[in-house]
Amino acid sequence: MEYTILLQELKNKFEDKILSVDEAADIFTLTVSSEAIKEIVSYLKEQQSFIYLTDLCGIHYPEQEKELGVIYHLHNLVANKRIRLKIFVSKAHPQIDSIVSLFSGANWMERETFDFYGIDFVGHPNLIRILNVEYMDYHPMRKEYPLEDATRSDKDDRFFGR
Amino acid sequence: MKTINSEHHLDLTQEDEKLYSTLNLGPTHPATHGIFQNVLMMNGETIVGAEQTIGYIHRAFEKIAERRPYYQITTLTDRLNYCSSPINNIGWHLAVEKLLGVETSKRVDYMRIIVMELARIADHLVCNSVIGVDSGALTGFVYVFQERERIYEIYEELCGARLTTNLGRVGGFDRDFSPAAIQKIKALMKRLPKVLHEFENLLMRNRIFMDRTINVGGISAERALNYSFAGPNLRAAGVDYDVRVQEPYSSYSDFDFVVPVGQNGDTYDRFCVRETEMWESMKLINNALDNLPEGKFYTDVPAFNLPPKQDVYSKMEPLISHFKMVMGEIDVPKKEIYSAVEGGNGELGFYVVSDGGRTPYRLHFRRPGFIYYQAFPEMITGSSLSDAILTMSSMNVIAGELDA
Amino acid sequence: MSDKDKYTVVEAPEGYSGSGFFATTLDKAVGLARKNSMWPLPFATSCCGIEFMATMGANYDLGRFGAERLSFSPRQADLLMVMGTIAKKMAPVVQQIYEQMAEPRWVIAVGACASSGGIFDTYSVLQGIDKVVPVDVYVPGCPPRPEQIIDGFMKIQELVGNEPLRRRYSPEYKAMLESYGIITDSYDK
Repeated sequence: MEYTILLQELKNKFEDKILSVDEAADIFTLTVSSEAIKEIVSYLKEQQSFIYLTDLCGIHYPEQEKELGVIYHLHNLVANKRIRLKIFVSKAHPQIDSIVSLFSGANWMERETFDFYGIDFVGHPNLIRILNVEYMDYHPMRKEYPLEDATRSDKDDRFFGR
Repeated sequence: MKTINSEHHLDLTQEDEKLYSTLNLGPTHPATHGIFQNVLMMNGETIVGAEQTIGYIHRAFEKIAERRPYYQITTLTDRLNYCSSPINNIGWHLAVEKLLGVETSKRVDYMRIIVMELARIADHLVCNSVIGVDSGALTGFVYVFQERERIYEIYEELCGARLTTNLGRVGGFDRDFSPAAIQKIKALMKRLPKVLHEFENLLMRNRIFMDRTINVGGISAERALNYSFAGPNLRAAGVDYDVRVQEPYSSYSDFDFVVPVGQNGDTYDRFCVRETEMWESMKLINNALDNLPEGKFYTDVPAFNLPPKQDVYSKMEPLISHFKMVMGEIDVPKKEIYSAVEGGNGELGFYVVSDGGRTPYRLHFRRPGFIYYQAFPEMITGSSLSDAILTMSSMNVIAGELDA
Repeated sequence: MSDKDKYTVVEAPEGYSGSGFFATTLDKAVGLARKNSMWPLPFATSCCGIEFMATMGANYDLGRFGAERLSFSPRQADLLMVMGTIAKKMAPVVQQIYEQMAEPRWVIAVGACASSGGIFDTYSVLQGIDKVVPVDVYVPGCPPRPEQIIDGFMKIQELVGNEPLRRRYSPEYKAMLESYGIITDSYDK
């Protein structure tokens, strides 16, 4: 399947929802608007045979206006083509539709993204923290939080160059 | 505690929930090879639902990786699927090479294939023998671990370490295969068929083992694809997706090997698929070793080619350049890539976003163990507790890969 | 038929022996028996656990030191071998397991992660299990070779063999356990 044909078909169906296209990247990458993600993923899964969700992860760009992002990697196993979808939301309203109804494998991937970045997946059956402790009150992968535990007493920061 | 109802959309009424008993499996349990917790809801002996808790060994790899230069991340990748560390290391180096746009020579590729297939054999040896242990057959485990010791000896010849190997460099290796290493690999390849035959005679057509594993913990191909399964678990369900064949890396396309596929996706199929993959890995190693081309064992990647260790320990210039490279005083192009290799458990992916600095801006590990373990409650609903234990061990869930 | 004179099975403790009797102190005799039949609880969490599996295998064989019978139940174990990284989520579990063990009990921290957090100086990893349980022997390494694990085990055996019998009832020991928040019943009424 040619990417130009795919891009044309996607543009025909979702003209204004596709914000940018990057054909020069290693995988065909689309940045789409966050409200349309479930429709686009559903179209790709049902009409274009991208039946395998390879990965779902979050990212944080503090200098952008829409700081938090979610990156989806989908794979068409028959034609052996991959596609990357990116959506961005602001920190104040980090709501995104969950794709658990399309891909059961997205369940834990979305929980992990919620745990690390605080992105709220609307429609997820069980959106609680998965890897960190339940009583943690911040989302650690965001860029403003440090790696080390602030309360540790046995390591002197002077010797560790921090 | 949340009820299991909502997690898995079970049609349980309040009265039903009063009839069922709750059993806590883990996190410290002899049969869970790794620490993860399952709270099972049971109707007598039959499992009705399960609630999983993971994260007991969450070490924040992705956050650490944002702090570390590219060479220092190799030691983190060791500890993902620690039963087959070289595959993780080489996978990471392949990802960095993709980022930099580096081509490696055939010799490097073939050497990498040998090391990766040895690691795959080591991983499958552990998994299959542990399935035996969980069904009561401890002998196979002890026999087969001796071969793992021999593989450790080979790793020691190549890189000095047994388990967390930190092996190789971006663009190849730090040293060529020494004659001792080649001799050990050849000796192992002569010895391994007999050992595998002995192991298979113990288990594969054993009436008790077959009764315990056939039609236990099965999953259909559609559900497996929906859950984004990968690796032997997916192939046992009937889908022949192998990254080495689909998107060949490191010259795998030069070799002819079979990708074994099962039918029912049950425990017996997973056992047999792993067993067959070990035979195929042996063929690959023998082929690669016989046809090892001449050439350099490293690639002249400008800012990543660490100088030879003897020079680093004795001369000033190489010492300084080694230090600078490992501390990351180098420029990396500003782009993002996704690179995948076939790990012991399936498609191990590295999504690297580089902003041109010395450390990645974002590094995400696509860990197959994390993704397919979600299907565990669906696979065990309706079976007994002993079946659940076997299903769990046949899925080869490694805690390091689960939690990262 | 076998050459028994060449091999010493176990060294006898110091004592006074005569025709048909051997006199030594009670704690040496008890220590001798305990140290050569330790029942470890392998609390294997990550990579060090795989090295432990290699130590239990035929090549390095921890069983010849008497530790053949692994106990996964803390009630029946003497030695808690914590092998691998302990995250903050897991720390209460380690303490619970330690509390369930019956006296006398020893703890060995195998690996850099169990000793001090290892290479993971992060928000989620406990920087050493000695923050939650008292540790007797630390085995550094990432992962330590089986020979190192056996060396650590032999140091534990030294500690076990030389331990005075009333140590666990002393007020200093109780105070130490209190400092970890581990409740001790007063069994010495």
